Amino acid sequence: MPIEVRSLTHIYHRGSTSEAVALKDVSFRIDNGEFVGLIGPTGSGKSTLIQHLNGLLKPTSGEVLVDGQNIWDKGMSLRKLRQRVGLVFQYAEQQVFEETVRQDIAFGPRNLGLSEREVMERVEEAARMVGLPADLLDRSPFELSGGQLRRVAIAGVAAMKPEVLILDEPAAGLDPRGRDGILSRIQEMHRGGMTVILVSHNMEDVARLCGRLLVLNKGELVADGTPREVFSRNEFVKKIGLRAPDVVNLMEKLRERGWNVRTDIVNVDEALKEILRELGKEAPVLS
Amino acid sequence: MMSSGVIMGQYYPASSPVHAMDPRAKILISVVFMVVLFVGNNFYAFAIMGAFAGLAIAASKVPVRLLIRGLRPILFIMAFTMVLHLFLTPGPAIFKIGSFTATWAGLIQGLFIGVRLVILIMFTSLLTLTTSPIELTDGLEDILKPFTRLGVPAHELAMMMTIALRFIPTLLEEAERIMKAQMARGADFESGNMVKRAKSLVPLLVPLFVSAFRRADDLAMAMEARCYRGGEGRTRMRQLRMAARDFVAFGLVIVIAALVIVVRIRFGPVVSRV
Repeated sequence: MPIEVRSLTHIYHRGSTSEAVALKDVSFRIDNGEFVGLIGPTGSGKSTLIQHLNGLLKPTSGEVLVDGQNIWDKGMSLRKLRQRVGLVFQYAEQQVFEETVRQDIAFGPRNLGLSEREVMERVEEAARMVGLPADLLDRSPFELSGGQLRRVAIAGVAAMKPEVLILDEPAAGLDPRGRDGILSRIQEMHRGGMTVILVSHNMEDVARLCGRLLVLNKGELVADGTPREVFSRNEFVKKIGLRAPDVVNLMEKLRERGWNVRTDIVNVDEALKEILRELGKEAPVLS
Repeated sequence: MMSSGVIMGQYYPASSPVHAMDPRAKILISVVFMVVLFVGNNFYAFAIMGAFAGLAIAASKVPVRLLIRGLRPILFIMAFTMVLHLFLTPGPAIFKIGSFTATWAGLIQGLFIGVRLVILIMFTSLLTLTTSPIELTDGLEDILKPFTRLGVPAHELAMMMTIALRFIPTLLEEAERIMKAQMARGADFESGNMVKRAKSLVPLLVPLFVSAFRRADDLAMAMEARCYRGGEGRTRMRQLRMAARDFVAFGLVIVIAALVIVVRIRFGPVVSRV
């Protein structure tokens, strides 16, 4: 299910003194099965943009097309759209409200009007997908740790079986293990055929996971390309207040010192290989 | 969306003599004014008080349009009381609807009550429009201070008010965010009958309460970490000081009060009761 955005502009509080342009003439297209990273400094319009993709915000001007259909056309059901385009908000654990984890994950699928049996099947499937142990399902969500609760919230959206999953900083505020756990689960969901859009401030994460990056700055789409293409423009990335992954900077420093290494490398594994090649050594076998 | 038209409690920032007044003086003047407004029992009294209110509004630089907009929420109450008075006051009839008789006395009485309400709302909204919430609570705390000996927790009440006012926008923002998060999970807040709609609020209210309690906990901790221990021995960064203008304004209100009492004795009520 491709998503297409055409000259999307969004202005908050139009006509009042606090009027603010959040998005300016943004256009792009996301195809089935892509893993897209959405990056940009704080206040660049990332959250505003993703809320347009499932119809929570209405464009001031421009269009959002899903499957070639303008989502604001008459006769389009926004609730159906929100089932197909799932959105996990930042600090999603704050939306949890039910008495048990199972009931909370079931909230979404129940709103779809599924049979109780199917709802329960989906709950268990979603819990497995996000790596939530089955014995936690009947506990109160308020007994869980932050990382587990985040998984509950993501499962709550995943249980609706969206074709596109949008996540706003799903790993923010978690410890390294929680972070890796959640990100690798998202990676698995993508391998299972879901289109994923990941909003993140962590450049290492997006460089490692995403096949394509959209870069927003002050409401404008300023770059659209593979992580390699985006981060090889290191000066530009720095100028808008972002920072390329450490390995990009490392490779540049090595090159400055006269090493004959490539600088268009965005993840640690590639960097290791390249440095060993330069040193004329074999890559060690990592257990 | 919800706040349209409601100006009670809103602050209109400007630099005017009324804004610059001591909040204690403004609160006390408002209280005296309200009492006097109910002492006055004829239109002469309202002419005097209306003139005073008009003077205060002009001096405050608050746009009159804003004040008139503030009357909108009470329009219904005003219309309702005026109609009640029109039909339920005995006297010579103007016209009849079924067994209800509208009277001249009722018309005048209704108008009288209406004018009283308009002056009341306009003048009291002027207090909050020209006094920032912080000043207002500071002033209130000072006025309540004499009652601490009777066990009134003046400082604590003022602090609670300040905190409540501070967190209204925060909670509104949070409510909107949670609402969107639940809508993304297919929640529907808009359709269905009353019961269904009330039920649909559970996914909104539970997280909102949870986070409000967490916030309150954090805030209490942060206050204690900065050695907050209530009002005792606490000094203020902004000291309240009465200035000449405060005494002049207060003197003016006393004169108005005296005038209204004289007018009340001299002319009597607007509709003489039999």
